[in-house]
Amino acid sequence: MAQKRMSAEDTKVAMHSVVGEMYDKIVNGEPPTMTLPVRTKTNIGFDKKLGVYKYGKKRSTRDATSLGSAKQLLRALHVIEFIEEMIDSGKSSTLREMYYISESWGLGKFGSQNESNNLAEDLEIVTKCLREDFKLRPEEDGARMIGNLTLQERNRRGEWMRINARDDVGDSGYGVPYNVEKEKIELLEHDINFIMAIETGGMFDRLVENGFDEDYKCGLLHLKGQPARSTRRIIKRMSEEWDLPVVVFLDGDPWSFRIFASIAYGAIKTAHISEYLATPSATYLGITADDIMAYELPSDDLSKKDIEALNAELTDPRFADSWWQEQINMMLELGKKAEQQSLAKYGLDFVTDTYLPEKLAELGLA
Amino acid sequence: MSGIAQKLAANQKQVAISEFFEKNKHFLGFDSLSRSLITAVKEAVDNALDACEEARILPTINVQVTKIDAKKDIIELTVEDNGPGIPQKSIEKVFGQLLFGSRFHAIRQSRGQQGIGITGVVMYSQLTTGKPTHVKSKIATEATAAVVDIGLDTRKNKATKSNSGREIWEEENGEIKKHGLEVTCRMKAKYQKGRQSVWQYLRMTSIVNPHAEITFTDPEGEIHFWPRVTERLPRKVESIKPHPHGILLGQLQRMLSESKDSRMSVFLRMNFSGVSGRAAKELCAAAEIEVNTKPKSMKPDQMRALLEAFQGEKMFNGKPVKLLNPPTNCLSPIEEMLIKKGLSKTIDSRYATTMTRVPNVSLGNPYQVEVGLIFGGNMAADKPVEVLRFANRVPLMYQQGGCLLTKAIESVDWRQYGLDQPGAKGVPKGPAAILVHLASTNVQFTSEAKEALAENGEVIEEVRKAMLEMGRGLRKHLEKKKKMAKTKEKFELINDILPAIAKKSAEILERPIPNLSGSITKIMSAVISESETAWNKATKMTDVSIKIYNYTARARAYTILATWPEKSGGIMKNNVFGGRKEATGVWAWKLETLQPGENLTITFSLDGLEKGDWTETDVFYRGSQEIIGALKMDEKYLDEIRNQEKIMQELEAKSESDYTESSPNEETTQNEEEAQPEPAVKPPTGQATLFGGEL
Repeated sequence: MAQKRMSAEDTKVAMHSVVGEMYDKIVNGEPPTMTLPVRTKTNIGFDKKLGVYKYGKKRSTRDATSLGSAKQLLRALHVIEFIEEMIDSGKSSTLREMYYISESWGLGKFGSQNESNNLAEDLEIVTKCLREDFKLRPEEDGARMIGNLTLQERNRRGEWMRINARDDVGDSGYGVPYNVEKEKIELLEHDINFIMAIETGGMFDRLVENGFDEDYKCGLLHLKGQPARSTRRIIKRMSEEWDLPVVVFLDGDPWSFRIFASIAYGAIKTAHISEYLATPSATYLGITADDIMAYELPSDDLSKKDIEALNAELTDPRFADSWWQEQINMMLELGKKAEQQSLAKYGLDFVTDTYLPEKLAELGLA
Repeated sequence: MSGIAQKLAANQKQVAISEFFEKNKHFLGFDSLSRSLITAVKEAVDNALDACEEARILPTINVQVTKIDAKKDIIELTVEDNGPGIPQKSIEKVFGQLLFGSRFHAIRQSRGQQGIGITGVVMYSQLTTGKPTHVKSKIATEATAAVVDIGLDTRKNKATKSNSGREIWEEENGEIKKHGLEVTCRMKAKYQKGRQSVWQYLRMTSIVNPHAEITFTDPEGEIHFWPRVTERLPRKVESIKPHPHGILLGQLQRMLSESKDSRMSVFLRMNFSGVSGRAAKELCAAAEIEVNTKPKSMKPDQMRALLEAFQGEKMFNGKPVKLLNPPTNCLSPIEEMLIKKGLSKTIDSRYATTMTRVPNVSLGNPYQVEVGLIFGGNMAADKPVEVLRFANRVPLMYQQGGCLLTKAIESVDWRQYGLDQPGAKGVPKGPAAILVHLASTNVQFTSEAKEALAENGEVIEEVRKAMLEMGRGLRKHLEKKKKMAKTKEKFELINDILPAIAKKSAEILERPIPNLSGSITKIMSAVISESETAWNKATKMTDVSIKIYNYTARARAYTILATWPEKSGGIMKNNVFGGRKEATGVWAWKLETLQPGENLTITFSLDGLEKGDWTETDVFYRGSQEIIGALKMDEKYLDEIRNQEKIMQELEAKSESDYTESSPNEETTQNEEEAQPEPAVKPPTGQATLFGGEL
């Protein structure tokens, strides 16, 4: 595993070093500070060793010379104190709960939920701890999975529960929890050849109904749009621990390209833990720009925003390879985008009988 | 036969008067049903204000509009005042005869330069509903009020009286009313809301008449109240004689033909302002007229020559004849502080600035420009600012676009002063209202409608200058507000947040709370000023405190300057720091050196002001290091103040010399002219001729 998990004690020590930086500055007659990496596109670089995008060396110092920054420092102290209390009492809370708890922090209370989310990320970066170490849970919706794979999950009573994601679940599949680390989930065994991550619920249900997972011996995973951290993490774990290929089946539009990039290369917002979340071996299956032409799919015109997004992607280092450049340029030339479900033009079974087998064959998976 | 002829003639005249109304209703103010009502209110309220002003009474005016017949648009209007009232025998004349009243003879600033007065309202009511106007009048020396219904005999242009009598006038509280006038008329009219409404007219009237209390009951029964915010009546205005620079040929002809003077030199000296005995002789010489020519016998050529001498086209000794400016005491500006009060009571705002320019003369007519700007509060930020135009304290509500005052506003690039103005064109947008008041003895309108002021390069420049100055004031205010917000933040930072950071970090690390002074100096690294201006209920004074903190690592020395309303009667008290007066309304204190971490407070109180007169003190500094919360003294600003001081002094000296020069002469000719207080001059407005020779 790329990132070492911290013990409760280690987490506290890491957090105390943040507090110590502020304290020492005051003792030395300076404004208190907190030093962070710059979290913008300009400070994202490709890590050749890890095959993912990581924050670079640029650092910024948040110092208490303006009211806004000073409040941020005070909030950080309150959050640290709150996390220590949770670690000591064995509790966890959602980011939203923390936002409401901050109501009682007086001057250190959050102005918006976004502020508390960002501060949690700041602390992760500075302390090199994970949100999970802080006992902070996201609000985000985890993925669901169906397929002949078996894992065990520790339930609320602390007992391990063995679950087969084909035989022990209903039509909605196995729900991926927010924490997918080893203390919570163990991957046991499988009889599948690859994992297919799917953007929309409609397409996921179509493949389930058509029994695609059994016909093609694969695990189906519903991303629910922009995938949550735990979704990307479990894809990564299955891919690495079971040595399985991952294919990603999305709509054919600029936003889907970005979803793929966050799965395969790492997202800008979480670049500090890219090596822990990204699956560089993942493959983009479709819908591609040439699919729109080759299958004569019903399509919509690109909006102004779509075109802006595509142009931005042309200069995004994550899409720098020739295949992506060609796809993006082709979509721009076509001026069209298409949804996964537009494949239904040729009937409900077309996607499972024709489209996917053809695409998988290209990759040698069918 | 002759009987028929007379009848025909009479009919013709009746037709003529009805026709006159029909043809001229647009400039008489009766061109639409909604405007007719506004005009009626305007005539009645203007009369009430003028009468109170002359009698030195603080006006209390009640206006009520009632819908009598909504289908036929019949409205009843009642306007009641607490003015001196009109003696019974004069009521008929005031309400029944066109163009009655002294104001048409005098050259001075007066409200009643518009419309044809209250008679027009009586006539309009009569013509549209057939109903006479009911008048109730009580003068102080009589026990009861005179009541009478006034109609109009359109054939004879004379009032008709009916139902006249006397009655006891009780006020709501049961007391006998001391004096006052109540006019009730019924007319075809429409009540409207919005920018051109009775409400807006009264609101604007209230702004420029802060000494008046106005209550308006609208047709829905809702009561709108504009309180009196000052006990000070407008200055009593003096009548003046016309100035040679502003005279036209026709007017000169009339003056000459009506003159009883025996010599031209006396005529010139006695009938014009700005003409000394010497100047009278020089004018005659320039026009090649004998000084002893009898005015009545002047020939047309001589008249023209005299006019050219007036204009400086015919010269004396190679130079135009030097004339004194007309006196400016005939003008009655509202004055800065009262405009501010008027605006503030009417419109909710955060910032108000007003300015009265020194009086000026254009083409022999004295005029004075006053402006006001209010900003912030509940005003809409995305709409054009409200433009409040006034001529001689009368609101101008129509033809905004074609008015000189609007053009002067539009000529300013407001973007640099913090208002939105796409393409630097048109009326700016933003949460503001701009007031412009032109006071003059001869207001020039674009048309007889008298709603827009005609172009005049000098006046427009004067208004523009005032606008620029106010704009600078606004920008200063906005900058100051920004800086104050910044300062407030810094204080919150060092007083609240930093101690909390120190305490919390110490708690988490289980270490002692560290000392903050070093961090504070580093964080602030500035000299900061905090000032407060507050009304002190107990002492009835305005307390001002200015606190200076040195949060830098070095010792600092400054001179601090502050404004106070000296011109408006503010007197400095309890100024323990001493210092000295720098210019009108600017005080300066030279401070001892302020060591790092030290602070110091200047305090003083202002006496002679009312609550709300002075709410913001501008603080300036002289010194190298910036003071947050104060402005670096702009020496040009001081120069401008001193400049205005100088102009004021010169003006005062001038009007005094004008006075002393002419007064001995007047004494000698008392019988000839002084018995008649008004100059023998017909008004320049052409209105006197509308109805022929009735006057």
